[in-house]
Amino acid sequence: MLEVKQLSCGYDDYPVVKNVSFSVKEGQRLCIMGPNGCGKTTLLRAVSGLLPYKGQVSICGKNLQELSRKEAARSIALMSQITSVYFSYTVYETVLLGRYAHTNGGAFSRTTEQDRQIVLNSMARTGILDLKDRMITELSGGQLQRVFLARTFAQSPKIILLDEPTNHLDLKYQVELVEDLKAWTAEKGRCAVGVLHDVNLALDFADTILLLENGQVRAFSPAKEFDLSMLSEVYQMDVGGYMRRSLKRWE
Amino acid sequence: MKTASKILVLTAAALAAVILGIGVGSVFIPPGDVGTILICNLFGHPIPETIDPVYPGLVMNMRLPRVLMAFFTGAALSMSGTVMQSVLRNPLASPFSLGVSAGAGLGAALVMVLGISSGILGAFLLPAVSLAFALGTVILVVGFATRMDKNLSNTTIVLIGMVVSLFCNAIMSMLSTLSPINAQRISLWTLGSFSMKEWNQVFILAPVTVLGILFFLHYAREMDVMTFGEEQAQALGVDMKRMKWLLIGAVAVLTGTATAFVGIIGFVDLIAPHVVRRFFGASHRKVIPASALFGGTFMVLCDLASRTLTPPREIPIGSITALIGAPFFIYIYFAGRRR
Repeated sequence: MLEVKQLSCGYDDYPVVKNVSFSVKEGQRLCIMGPNGCGKTTLLRAVSGLLPYKGQVSICGKNLQELSRKEAARSIALMSQITSVYFSYTVYETVLLGRYAHTNGGAFSRTTEQDRQIVLNSMARTGILDLKDRMITELSGGQLQRVFLARTFAQSPKIILLDEPTNHLDLKYQVELVEDLKAWTAEKGRCAVGVLHDVNLALDFADTILLLENGQVRAFSPAKEFDLSMLSEVYQMDVGGYMRRSLKRWE
Repeated sequence: MKTASKILVLTAAALAAVILGIGVGSVFIPPGDVGTILICNLFGHPIPETIDPVYPGLVMNMRLPRVLMAFFTGAALSMSGTVMQSVLRNPLASPFSLGVSAGAGLGAALVMVLGISSGILGAFLLPAVSLAFALGTVILVVGFATRMDKNLSNTTIVLIGMVVSLFCNAIMSMLSTLSPINAQRISLWTLGSFSMKEWNQVFILAPVTVLGILFFLHYAREMDVMTFGEEQAQALGVDMKRMKWLLIGAVAVLTGTATAFVGIIGFVDLIAPHVVRRFFGASHRKVIPASALFGGTFMVLCDLASRTLTPPREIPIGSITALIGAPFFIYIYFAGRRR
């Protein structure tokens, strides 16, 4: 569904991501891992068409660069790291904006019953139906993150890209979000790509791992076959030892 | 209260302000007489003999064009403020952040100092040059910003707008200093006035403002999406660069036209969007018409105050908008926060 070939991109001629290739098939969940500054967010921005790049990105067989912004948004959604909100929309109004790419727009275009149902289903899926009429400026960071996730679901994309989606979420909601995403990708014609820092959560979420180091692919393999010792090399710390110490405390 | 009811209340307030604005002045005209004169003129009926024969001329030739100019100027500036705050995602942004006022002021100052006249344009020369300079300044600001920043980010636009505004203001100050005879005229123009407004000006500003409302309503959903930031808006399907050019261009035409006729009037563009959002929420389908109605009403009342508080002198309208607007804004803003 998503095919990235020899992708390079960066900022002001400074290359951040270099010759990265990977693909994600229907139903797959790919987790991009790597230390800070290795190019994870930059890669997601390029794959969603927000950043110019060299190479090729195909979404469901179509070249991303040949799609209009609305066409791209109907196929691929990006849930960015949370940003501050300045204006008071209700939760329902915010989630409804996810349907923008599916509407013709215009002053007198009305919200269809189908749009309304999709929005309500997305809100139910993320557990925010009871917040429907609340102003988003009154919400906690975690609640806001769930509103944005619901908006991403309401966009009805085929591919969801998530940039550190568990930020601001407590442990329960982190686990629930991963389960939500698993259930979402299980439905026909969908896949997800996420950047996650928590190793446990990443391994729970992903069936494929893409490990980046200095903007290049260090490893791209099924999660079950992924050599965890590589994490220690890339992060330059004893990741396994840290995990074992944590586990010992639990035991 | 539902949105439709709130809009009805605002419309009623706007009508009341217009009738009050027409009736109150050196000669007081009772509201009933104002209504009768307006209706008779609208439907081509003769004016009843019970009405003082001085009133119809006073209403139709002097007070009504002035009040309508105030209303449409307020509406245009308020809508423009709402749009700029959403496009630049900055609650302190206004059309003047783009250099519209500085450009218009510079154009007007040049016409005054150089004593330019034109047989074809006549009295419209100053507004025409002023509008051309306002639009030219915005094109310069956005063009410059695009060259410096391919993504046309909000920060770049605001920064370039500020620099160009300061540059234009500096030239305007130099012109005032070099031409002391025109200094007072330039200074008064930069404080704004609705004095001596005529129907031909209303016939230009009114359709531009109405078209502005329709244009912004057409892009209401895009503006809703844009308030969540450039990256999120693009990810949701908005072509940010195109939308910024379209909306900023429309704001420049709207603000430039209003400013060209009445001079620089600040504050309403900044406060109206905040006050309206407090009662209508942030959705642009509601905020755009509500800003127009609120801004128009507010400006009519400010103009009324400017010409009736210290007769026969008029207080500059720009001072009145700030004097009334500042405490009103603080009251609305903090009362809302307490709720």
